[in-house]
Amino acid sequence: MDLFANLLLGFSVAVSPLNLVYLFAGVMIGMVVGIIPGFGPSAALAILLPVTFGMNPASAVIMLAAIYYGSQYGGTITSILLNTPGESSSVASTFDGYPLAQQGRAGPALVMQAVASFVGGTLGVVLITLLAPPFALLARSFGPPEFFLLVVMGLSTLVVMIGGHWRLGLISALIGFALGTVGVDLETGNSRFTFGSAELIGGIDFIPVAIGLFGLGELYYALYSGLHVSGSGGIVQYQKERRFWPTRRDYAESNGALARGSLLGFVVGVLPGAGATVASLMSYSIEKSVSRTPQKFGKGAMAGLVGPESANNAASSGAMVPLLTLGIPGSASTAVLLAAFVLWGLTPGPLLMAQKPEFAWGLIASMYLGNMALLALNIFAIPLFVQMIKLPYRLLAPAVILVCTIGTYSVNGSIVETWLMFGAGLAGFFMKLHGFSPAALVLALVLGPLAEQSLRQSLTISRGSLAIFVDRPVSLAILCLTLALVAAGIWAHLSRRAPPQD
Amino acid sequence: MRAGFLAGVLLLAGGYTWLAFAELAWLSSAGRLGPAFFPRIIGVALMVLCAWSLGAELAGGARERPSVHWRAAAALALLSGLFVAALEPLGGLLAMAAYLAAALAYFNRRRHWQNALLAVLLPLAIYLLFRVWLGASVPRGPLGF
Repeated sequence: MDLFANLLLGFSVAVSPLNLVYLFAGVMIGMVVGIIPGFGPSAALAILLPVTFGMNPASAVIMLAAIYYGSQYGGTITSILLNTPGESSSVASTFDGYPLAQQGRAGPALVMQAVASFVGGTLGVVLITLLAPPFALLARSFGPPEFFLLVVMGLSTLVVMIGGHWRLGLISALIGFALGTVGVDLETGNSRFTFGSAELIGGIDFIPVAIGLFGLGELYYALYSGLHVSGSGGIVQYQKERRFWPTRRDYAESNGALARGSLLGFVVGVLPGAGATVASLMSYSIEKSVSRTPQKFGKGAMAGLVGPESANNAASSGAMVPLLTLGIPGSASTAVLLAAFVLWGLTPGPLLMAQKPEFAWGLIASMYLGNMALLALNIFAIPLFVQMIKLPYRLLAPAVILVCTIGTYSVNGSIVETWLMFGAGLAGFFMKLHGFSPAALVLALVLGPLAEQSLRQSLTISRGSLAIFVDRPVSLAILCLTLALVAAGIWAHLSRRAPPQD
Repeated sequence: MRAGFLAGVLLLAGGYTWLAFAELAWLSSAGRLGPAFFPRIIGVALMVLCAWSLGAELAGGARERPSVHWRAAAALALLSGLFVAALEPLGGLLAMAAYLAAALAYFNRRRHWQNALLAVLLPLAIYLLFRVWLGASVPRGPLGF
């Protein structure tokens, strides 16, 4: 009964006219962000964070969360029509989405991706509703060793599963940890790496670094890759197709993929560090392996589009569970959401749902409404978004720099932080160019203080013995899960490297 | 290119580690783990990984060719740096207009009317959004905006 009472409380918050306006603004912005290649939800969230300053906390977080899960919907439109994923979690949707469009079935593919996103996203929210309260209760028994191991799990999973080179990913995470140590040491009050600067005593602020790395860095890289000169002539003209709606056979072929993708996506999303990209790629592999016609995959199989699409949306919902109940973000986007929570004086963690139920349940209830709005937007506003795909980068890039810079300055009125954002932008460009991971850096910067504090507390409790991490059943379970995830990631890398055996 | 970047990170990591060893205490006055504990672990791990990766990179000897579009990225980076530098001396509104006019003149060539319109309207909209609607701080120049 508590569950329904809480959910009703949440809906009473979410359906206020003002919150509905912010919710629809958020899903709309999320869709736009999703369809712009090279511009992910992390960048959009970081850039728009300062814009939410005039709002009340619930409205601000409802809007930011809507941008986050809305972007998962938008990314697939370009995957299907342009063979270019709007963001990394939509890569798997190009494998069969674009071939479907080339066969004159772009309409059914677009509708099915919207349905799959809706099913994945909504099932994810249902699972949050059911699982977040018991998860929060369990998390109340967590101590410093468990929190330290959760940070380790999040970062090691991110580094191993993100693809590319693990050493460079680890270096990125260590740079983030190092930046996180700047400022006053909370236990002793000593200044560290401040060089006498008053601006650095409070530490390196996360917002300018995130805006620089994801906003400026991504834009510089997009220009370096030539996105400003590539036209949009390759867009499949779906308006000329005779059939826009999917057939019964399309639905019948997709039922299993929808259910499997949603459940897999949610589980992967809950694990810190794994995220929507890993979930969608895993779903594609599973669908191909269970299909009776695997030879159709890569040539326009509806299950190959629907599975990954439901998985990436369910994963983005699943990632809200550790964020809300533990205060541990599993990805760069949820790290920015955590920063938003903290900015509004809310402390995500085991006590959030008990102490601020109207906020936590308002956010969850808004996700049900947001997914419904996104389904309608995805089907009926596709022509509008196709026009946006055509907006040239040569206009977009200078305008986004404008918003990034003014947005960063407006947070604290600090020119030092604005220079920090610019420096992070240059660093982000070179990191992306050379295969480093800006996401790991940002996640480590956010989690660094928690990691340091919980490690020091753990070793103080155990008088310097590392056995504390294996003596406690929960920490031992987290450690085993971390090792299993890392092993799975390494195995996946090795199997990708192995030559095909035909 | 990547070797140069790694060498730069290694250099910075060396400075960070040196400071962690030279200026920060391993134990606090109460005998607990002190402010140097975490930075020393991070610094040493960072140096080892950077040196390892640099060695592997140099041994591999692969040379990447820069993209033909590097000038566009460099131009945008230069213009955004100049924009940040001009924010306080010129004020937010004028700096935005000057930056956007310059950036559009470079990226959106021969569309003078479109560029002029955007360089006026977009900064004005952003100024009104941040300054008037949100009440956020935007740098004020000598003219008061």
